[in-house]
Amino acid sequence: MRPGLWPVASGPAARDEGASDVELLLRSGGKLRDHLRPDVDQYTRRVEVDDGLTLRQILKVLDIPEGLVAFAFADGKLRRLDYRPGDGDVVTLQPPVSGG
Amino acid sequence: MDGFGGTTLRIDLATGEIRRSPTDPTLAREWMGARGFVSKILYDEVPRGADPLDPENLFIVATGVLTGSFCPVGSKLGFGCISPATNGHADSSMGGHLGPELKYAGYDLIIFENVSPEPTYLYIDDDTVELRPAADYWGAGSLKLEERMKKDLGEDFQIATIGPAGENGIVFSCISHDFGRQAGRCGVGAVMGSKKVKAIAARGTKALPAHDLKAMTDLTYDIIQRTKTHPNMEPWQKYGTAFFVGWSNERGCFPARNFQETQFEHWDKIDGERLVEECLVTHKACFGCWMNCGKYSRARVPGKPETYQEGPEYETIALVGGSCALESIHEVAYANHLLDDVGMDTMSGGSTIAFAMECFERGIITKDDLEGHELRWGNIDDFEHFVGMVAERRGIGDTFARGTKGAAEILGRGTIDFASQAKGMEFSGYDTRWYPAQLLSYCTCDIGAHHSKSWTITTDIELGRDTIDGKAPVVIYLQHIRPLFDTWSCCRLFWGELDVSPEEHVETINHLTGWGITLDDCMKVSEKIWNLNRAHFLERNGGPGRRHDVAPARHLDEPVPSGPAEGKKVGRENFEAMLDDYYANRGWDADGNPTREVLEDLGIGYAADSLEKRDLLGKPIPGGIPKVRGQRLKPKAM
Repeated sequence: MRPGLWPVASGPAARDEGASDVELLLRSGGKLRDHLRPDVDQYTRRVEVDDGLTLRQILKVLDIPEGLVAFAFADGKLRRLDYRPGDGDVVTLQPPVSGG
Repeated sequence: MDGFGGTTLRIDLATGEIRRSPTDPTLAREWMGARGFVSKILYDEVPRGADPLDPENLFIVATGVLTGSFCPVGSKLGFGCISPATNGHADSSMGGHLGPELKYAGYDLIIFENVSPEPTYLYIDDDTVELRPAADYWGAGSLKLEERMKKDLGEDFQIATIGPAGENGIVFSCISHDFGRQAGRCGVGAVMGSKKVKAIAARGTKALPAHDLKAMTDLTYDIIQRTKTHPNMEPWQKYGTAFFVGWSNERGCFPARNFQETQFEHWDKIDGERLVEECLVTHKACFGCWMNCGKYSRARVPGKPETYQEGPEYETIALVGGSCALESIHEVAYANHLLDDVGMDTMSGGSTIAFAMECFERGIITKDDLEGHELRWGNIDDFEHFVGMVAERRGIGDTFARGTKGAAEILGRGTIDFASQAKGMEFSGYDTRWYPAQLLSYCTCDIGAHHSKSWTITTDIELGRDTIDGKAPVVIYLQHIRPLFDTWSCCRLFWGELDVSPEEHVETINHLTGWGITLDDCMKVSEKIWNLNRAHFLERNGGPGRRHDVAPARHLDEPVPSGPAEGKKVGRENFEAMLDDYYANRGWDADGNPTREVLEDLGIGYAADSLEKRDLLGKPIPGGIPKVRGQRLKPKAM
């Protein structure tokens, strides 16, 4: 089991004993959608992660290349990859603009 | 003709004669609009020996098949001519509202011939088309003139202007509209100025005929609903393209100090967050757009007048901000305003000033050349003084008015090695030393170095930044699909960012025109345009083609000094190998000349005949040309 993050479908039994976790909705379109592998709707994937992980760490365990994420957007604000999402956050991953 | 205004205007500026003719349905169907119209007309009509600023050059204003439609979003208008920067085909487009306005007045295409004896502007109010005197407007800044003309003519006129740079033939002059939308590249403003045309003003109140209005409306409504709730819409609306600075800087492709470095230590003082927090006045949209990616801003620089402008967007931040090392978003916005009003492309303008700053740093130009001023990195006063010298062609300003390549040819002393340009047009705001596909894209681009025709930074990341393998077919694919949006004349961002597929654009075109075409048909048109532009470039500039696909020494030989790309460079051997691969995948010969087989396959055998007469035709390829040129990729954001 990869440390730190479990797709919801894998269930609580797969988690570390005593680790608190947060549930997130990650959303994206464009080039990132293939990497995100949405499961809620065409843009959205539900994940549970250890509390305190940064977005950069979450991307790594999800095998989403961080180079393809320009920034994140949560609660109406731009977030860098060192942002630590909280329980219930809806985090949009913004792909790089196709050329500026 | 469904989907079009129906009329083409041909204006002889020397005599003042304005001729109207029905827009040619064959031209419309086979070349689809703006970039395509420009490609075909320039190839057919401009004498090969004509200088770009000679009367024989044409200045073309061209809408596309989707201009004025609500397919997301038909706001674009194309301008074309032989470029004074590259001496080849030029097409440059702008958003805003003028394109739809022209089409609603009934005009698809306006071709300006010769030179007006006096400054003039084109006035269009539905069926009224006049050349009007513009002596009172001559010399005015682009932004100030638009405001003045709105007062003179009425707020509902859409207006495009040139500034003093265009009047004075600066090779990177732009055409400005809607207080901050520009047809920036290729020096189209200089050609407009060479014809003494200061402005175009239009009001149109008619409707576009549609083949199946209900089907088109239903599809558009679906796209609007879907994209309004797309997760990436809100960040786009909030930040526009300026958000991209941090990403680009972290990836080691953000130009700093004339591309000497690929990271800028003050990036966080000039990025999208700073722009929105400190300068934003309001969000701004083009015709029919619900994205509002334009950012109208206020700049407050100590000691300078307060200015209002659209932007800066990513490219301006990169090439005026990072590349000239300005350390404040207010200074970047102020510089943006200076260049907009004087009528210079912020991309090539920013790059040329950065190049001059490096010349000053190296002692190649001195205070004696600069009227006693300096030209230091990050100094907005020096920047402003130098803009004035270039715009008015005062002293050494005349040298840099020719762009980086033209200036380097005069200055000598190895300056060409650090002029980041291809075919005479400056690079966009991405360093290429760790991004070989982007270098190939720039150096093979048919209008000179421009990311809009092929942007491959994420492709380099996905396929590996340390390899050249597999890059050429992707570049070719992108060089066909991305310019399609320029040809159709609609915004590319809804495709790249919000998952509106190219097939949906084609479906809209079919509802609008009744053509019954496929995306493959459109891709073939795009490839045809690319090849005709190549043939035209060779006919004007001689061969072999490979001689023109040249990368600056900085990007081949000079390792990145620091940051994530430290030590990276593309290298000459790798670059030549990519060119080999590129030519083979295009069906061109090893010299980079198009072959008869590929030109005939695209239905432009006449270009093969013309090349053959000039001994420029590619040698036949043993085993034949590839059946499909350019890798077929699933059309997604690239």
